[in-house]
Amino acid sequence: MLEFRTHGYNGYSVKYSPFFDSRIAVAASANFGLVGNGRLYILNLTADGIKPEKWFDTQDSLFDLAWSEAHENQLLTASGDGSIKLFDISLSEFPIANWSEHAREVFCVQWNLVGKDSFLSSSWDGCIKIWNPHMPASIATLPTHSCTYSAQFSPHSPNILSAVSSDSHMRIFDLRTPASASNHLTLSIPIHTPPKAQPGAPPAVGIPPSEALTHDWNKYRETVLATAGVDRLIRTFDIRAPGQGPVAILPGHEYAVRRLTWSPHLSDVLLSASYDMTCRVWTDGSAVGVGAQGVKTDPMALGGGRELGRMGRHTEFATGVDWCLFGAEGWCASCGWDERLLVWDARAIMTS
Amino acid sequence: MANQAGKRSAAQDRLSQVSNHLRSSEADIPRGREALFEKHPDDIVVTCALRTAITKGGRGGFKDTAAADLLHGAFKALLERSKIDPALVEDIAVGCVLAPGGGATEYRAAAIAAGFPVTSAVKSLNRQCSSGLQACVDIANAITAGMIEIGVGAGVESMSSQYGPQAVTEFSDLLNSVPESKNCTVPMGVLSEKMAKEKKIARNRQDAFAASSFQKAEAAQKAGLFDEEIAALKVKYTDPKTDEEKEITVSKDDGVRPGMTPESLAKIKAAFSKDGSIHAGNASQISDGAAAVLLMKRSTALRLNQPILGKYVTATVAGVPPLLMGVGPAAAIPPALKRVGITVDDVDIFEINEAFASQCLFCVEQLGIDAKKVNPKGGAIAFGHPLGCTGARQISTLLYELRRTGKRVGVSSMCVGTGMGMAAVWVAE
Repeated sequence: MLEFRTHGYNGYSVKYSPFFDSRIAVAASANFGLVGNGRLYILNLTADGIKPEKWFDTQDSLFDLAWSEAHENQLLTASGDGSIKLFDISLSEFPIANWSEHAREVFCVQWNLVGKDSFLSSSWDGCIKIWNPHMPASIATLPTHSCTYSAQFSPHSPNILSAVSSDSHMRIFDLRTPASASNHLTLSIPIHTPPKAQPGAPPAVGIPPSEALTHDWNKYRETVLATAGVDRLIRTFDIRAPGQGPVAILPGHEYAVRRLTWSPHLSDVLLSASYDMTCRVWTDGSAVGVGAQGVKTDPMALGGGRELGRMGRHTEFATGVDWCLFGAEGWCASCGWDERLLVWDARAIMTS
Repeated sequence: MANQAGKRSAAQDRLSQVSNHLRSSEADIPRGREALFEKHPDDIVVTCALRTAITKGGRGGFKDTAAADLLHGAFKALLERSKIDPALVEDIAVGCVLAPGGGATEYRAAAIAAGFPVTSAVKSLNRQCSSGLQACVDIANAITAGMIEIGVGAGVESMSSQYGPQAVTEFSDLLNSVPESKNCTVPMGVLSEKMAKEKKIARNRQDAFAASSFQKAEAAQKAGLFDEEIAALKVKYTDPKTDEEKEITVSKDDGVRPGMTPESLAKIKAAFSKDGSIHAGNASQISDGAAAVLLMKRSTALRLNQPILGKYVTATVAGVPPLLMGVGPAAAIPPALKRVGITVDDVDIFEINEAFASQCLFCVEQLGIDAKKVNPKGGAIAFGHPLGCTGARQISTLLYELRRTGKRVGVSSMCVGTGMGMAAVWVAE
C-alpha cells in the first residue's frame, strides 16, 4: 500500500489519469470543505513512492475532479463557489478556463467518455450543465430541482447521461430527444422503491426516501447502473425495466456511501467509499458462479451479491475512490478526510 | 460584512449537509426534547410576533373598527418592530372566519395600506377557530417548500361587526339528509353543553377553571406581561352614552374582569339549557382583535440580522365528530408530540384555547397535562376569542411567556368548529 499525505487538505475525490498509469489527481479542501481554500494535487507513482508533480490552489473548496479525455495534461475541478475550472499541468498556478454558472457548490464533473468533446457538471443548485471546453457558456442545463451529488455520461453513448440527487431519484437524460418541457429527461427512477415481491420471500418493507450521493454506469452492461447514498445501501438498477425496482441490493456499510465505481475490468465488481471510513469491494451477484451461494444473512440483501473485502486503513471519512485502468486488474486509489491518499490492490483484501 | 455573513452561512449549510449524510437511517435521527433545541439553517423561525389588544365585541375599544383596520394596525406594528424591508415579504396569509368572501379583498388592501408593496401577495383562509394558526403553518410550509423566502402569518376577527348567522349559508337538503353533516350546524354552545354532560364535567369544576383563567389574566395584566406582545392601536370610538365620536388608544385587553372567583361565577345563569352548566362566565368571550407573525428560515434571519424569538417545529390537524368538537386538542396534540418524539411532560407551556371551560378542562385531563402548564397568562375565557385571530395570537403569547420564564418548548392548540383540532409545537430561543 502506497500513501501520500495531503497536508492540511481533506480529500474529496481521486481520479487516475486515462492516459498514464502513473498519474493520479486528488481534489482536496481545507477545513473539511466547510470553508476555505481548495487544492488540486497532481501526483506521480514512482519507484520511490508517490511524488507530487504539481498542485494548484483555489479560492474555495474542491469537491470533485475529472481528467480530460481529449488532452492528457488537462483536468477539471468542481468548486464550492459554483465554478468549474480547467487546469493544464504544463502551466503553473492559474486555470486556463473558468466557468461560473452554477449558483451553488458543484459536486460533480465528468468528461464525456465517448464524445470526448463535452463534459458535464452537477450542483447543489439543482441543475446539471453540459459544457464544451471551447465555449464560454454551457450548452445545456438540465434541471433536477434538488441537490445533485452525482451525474455521469454513459460510457456507451455520447448522448445519454444519468444523475442521482437528494430527492432519492435516479434520472436518465437523452440529449437526442427534442428539447421540450421535459428537458431531455427520459426516465426517473425512485431509488427507494422496494424490490418486487418474489415467491418464497416475505414482501419487502417500505423504505423511506433518502439522499442519493453517488452512482456509476456499469462498464460492460450498458443498461446497468449502481447507486448509493445516505441509506447505506448499494443498489443496482437495469434501466430496461425501470419499474422493477432494484436488481441487487448490497447492505453492509455502516454509514452513508459517498463514492461508488464499477470495475473497468470485471463486469460484476464494484468499489465503494463510505463515511464509515472503509472502502469495500463488492460483487453484485451477476457473474457466473458468484450469485445464489451461501445463506442470505441480511434481510435487505437482494440479487445474490456480497461484499468481497474491505480496506479499513482510512482513519476518517473515505470520500473518493477510483480504479486504475492499466496493468493488472485490481489496483485502485482512495482518499479521505484523514488527509491521505492510499494506493492499494483490491485483490489483496478479497476474501475469496 | 455582508460577504462574510454569506461565507459563514455557506459553511453552516455545508456542515449541516454533511451531518445530514451521517443520519443514515430513521433510527439515527435524534429525537426527544434535546433534539428540538438543535439549530439548523433551514429551521423556520419567528422573528416577530405581536397582536393588538383584544376587546369586547359590541362594547369594547374596537367595536367601531373594521377587521381590515385591525389587521392594518397589526401589519404596521409588525413592520415597525421587525424593521424588515416590506419588499422582502413575498406572501401574507390571513386567517379569518366570519368575513364575507374570507375578507380576501379587504386584507389585500390592508396590507398595501400598511406599507407592503404590491409585490407582497396576500391570501385569506378559513379553518374556523384555528385559522390564525393555519395561516402561520401555511407560511412556514411555503418557506420549507421553497415557494417563498419570507412570509407573514396573521389572523383577524371583528366579531362586533361580523358575528351572526350570515357567516354560514343555508344547508341544502342533501347536507341536511346526512346526520353527521347536519351536526355541523349545531351551535357551539348547545353541543358543548351536551359534551359536558356526556363527559361528566361538572359546573363547579368548569367555574373553578374559568375563575382561574380570569385570575391568571388579571395578575398577568397587572404585572404587564402582555405589554411585549400587544401593539397599541389608535382607533375611532363612538361613546355609547353621548354618541360622541373620539379617537382612543387601545393597548389593553378590556375583557379581563377583576376579582372573579368560582363563587361569583356560580351565580350566573346557564345560557343554553335550564339545567345546563355553560354560561357567559365559563365560555370564551365574543371579541375583536388581530395578530401577526413574521416567519423565515434561520439562515435568512441571520443574514438579515433579525432577532429570533423561536422556531416552528411541526403542526397537526385532526378530525373529530362534529358534536364533540371540543375534544379537538386531545386528538391533535398527541400526534404532534409523537412526530417530534416528545411526551406531554417535555412541554413547558401549553396554550390551549379556552373555547369553553368544559372542553379545555376535558382535554387537559384527557392528556394528563399538569394544570400549571396550561395558559399561564389566562385564556379566551378571560380576554376573549376573536375567532380567526386566536391561533396567531397564541404564538406571541406563548413565545414571550416561554422567553420570560426561561423555558423552551411550547404547544399551541385549539378545538375547531365542525369537529377538528389543531396543534403546533414551538421552541423559544
